[in-house]
Amino acid sequence: MKKVLALVFVLVLGALIMNHLNDNNLFAGFGDAMLENRVSQSYIDRDATENNDGVVFDESLDLESGAANTVTAIVADYRSFDTLGEVTVLFISSFGVALLLGQSKKRIALEFKPNFMLKIGSRALFAVILMTGVFVSIHGHLTPGGGFPGGAMIASSMLLLYLADDEFRAKMRGFKILESVMGVFYIILGLAGLMITGFFLENFLDNGALGTLFSAGMIPIVYIIIGLKVGSEISSVIDHFLSEEGA
Amino acid sequence: MNIALFVAIPLGFAFISILHKKLAPILLIAASLFIIVGLSFVQNGETVIGGFEAPYGIHLLMDSYRLTALYIVNILFLSVVLLNIRKYHQMSTVLLISLTGLNGLIMTGDLFNLFVFLEISGISAYLITSTNKNPLASFQYLVAGTVGSSLYLFGLILLYAMFGSLNLADLSMQVSQLTDKTPVLLPFLLMFLGLGVEVKLLPLNSWVKGILKDANTLSGPMIASVYAAAMSLVFGRILIDLFVFEGRFIVIVSTILLVSILAGEAMAYQSKNVKEILLYSSVAQAGLVVLLFVSGLASWALFMVMANAISKMILFTIIASASEENGDDITVLQGIFTNNKLIGFSFTIASLSVIGLPLFMGFVVKMNALNHLFGEQMFLAIIAILLASVVEGIYFVRLLLHLWTPSETTVTFDIRMKAVLFALAVMLIVFGITVEPIESLKDTIEIGLNVGGTSWRI
Repeated sequence: MKKVLALVFVLVLGALIMNHLNDNNLFAGFGDAMLENRVSQSYIDRDATENNDGVVFDESLDLESGAANTVTAIVADYRSFDTLGEVTVLFISSFGVALLLGQSKKRIALEFKPNFMLKIGSRALFAVILMTGVFVSIHGHLTPGGGFPGGAMIASSMLLLYLADDEFRAKMRGFKILESVMGVFYIILGLAGLMITGFFLENFLDNGALGTLFSAGMIPIVYIIIGLKVGSEISSVIDHFLSEEGA
Repeated sequence: MNIALFVAIPLGFAFISILHKKLAPILLIAASLFIIVGLSFVQNGETVIGGFEAPYGIHLLMDSYRLTALYIVNILFLSVVLLNIRKYHQMSTVLLISLTGLNGLIMTGDLFNLFVFLEISGISAYLITSTNKNPLASFQYLVAGTVGSSLYLFGLILLYAMFGSLNLADLSMQVSQLTDKTPVLLPFLLMFLGLGVEVKLLPLNSWVKGILKDANTLSGPMIASVYAAAMSLVFGRILIDLFVFEGRFIVIVSTILLVSILAGEAMAYQSKNVKEILLYSSVAQAGLVVLLFVSGLASWALFMVMANAISKMILFTIIASASEENGDDITVLQGIFTNNKLIGFSFTIASLSVIGLPLFMGFVVKMNALNHLFGEQMFLAIIAILLASVVEGIYFVRLLLHLWTPSETTVTFDIRMKAVLFALAVMLIVFGITVEPIESLKDTIEIGLNVGGTSWRI
């Protein structure tokens, strides 16, 4: 009975939403929205605070936000306070996993006996995945990617080691220190912005030429911090999930 | 004093606190004290984050409403922390994060940023309730809370698709300029339902029972008092600043509120467990507060939140502490005040203030609210408030009689708890007798609000 009611409720809600958004004069169809009235156009033109002579790849110098990747410019510059919040969400989730599952000594055994080739092969692959993760984090301001996917890749390289070797156990203390120090660095960067420019989390470094590796001021630094932080947090979640309860 | 520090300092301390277990409680108390002291140095106005003016960037706002809200939440938070830090020291990091989240929620002027803080404070609330040792209830809370914030997010996405902005002030201006407001009612409904989960309006509050019936001295006051206050104040602010009430939306909203108030009181009336009585009563109170907000009585709603938060803090702390050993059946707890006159005194004052008897803060608030509603001729709301007060009167007096009836029960209370709760109870009396501070605060709050135009009648 409960399930039928739930289905009816969902169907009614769905019908309500479709009915409401159809012919809704404020809800523009795909491609019909008037972008010039919206904040997103300024994010693309980089003219929220100043006028510029257009955004040209490899040429434009010291724009208000220097990331060639517009998504990164929004996530890590225009709305970096939200990103600090998202980092906190992951931090507290990972901390919660550790709090609930507790410190355990023994890890869960694999269902098969890993052989020598698997162990060595996974170590080689580990390095490749780890480097990809680092690359994605560092190039977040130029290409799709950034600290969050980069950190997830770093953690997935750890997962590989856990899955391919039944005796492997990472040193969690190191990850904890890394996680804490990176978090503190992020806050310190924000406070440095407050000291130097008067705004919390403001980019106080030179933005450089759009599209070069050393550009976009604080963004690559922030993304390295996020990458390491996310990587160590997800690794510690993996370690807790792969170790036995209690003990 | 840059108000971004109220978010940055507890967050930075939280990051440090995972390294050193002994240091963590000290950091928690230090951050909490820093905020309370810092609140006396803030100035009204906006604080831009990241150097991009709104609506392009995110900004934090400060006015009398938010300042009062911050004082209420932070002082109660510190009281809960001081009473529990010895026993629950392993929760220090979680509490630091929840402090970050709650302060951010109150100050932010950006609706997506509000969602982020909703998530932060939500996840820390789930972890705080894990001290109840009832994992299923905490999990249900997690699911309900996440669905709630997803509904809020969905509503916000629709608003962004319509107006291309996430800034509260910007959106509110654009919405108020619309001649036909029906297109925005769906996003408002979704956001109302989403936030309704957090402030525990019926029928969106299935999580409340599981959480509060096993509540301990940390999770009880934290969820029922501190979180409830913060969430209702944030919800109220959005109701005043952004929402428009028209057409079918009014019918849905008023049904939800009236059902919340009346069903909450009815369930409290027929319950035999003290914690259940308190939790259903707080469901009804939440409905009343939102009713005042949507009726446009923002400042009185704020004071009602304040009176309720202080009362609930006293009530839940006492009952959670007394029921630690033998449970909270009304017969088991009979006579706990016989040897604890001071605790009994605080409990009595808190419950009488909730009912709304003269001499206590609850009376001042209810009287003035009714007065205004009468002037506006909103009779349905008046009947709801009066009916709720009568039922509250019956079950609270019944409860008090039970708890004061002499018996052999020996429950002892911590001396620090006695002191803190007594101080809070005295506060209820002070605000109940001297009306001037509330009156003058009310005037400054209303200067900062743009009440009018959004209120409606039921």
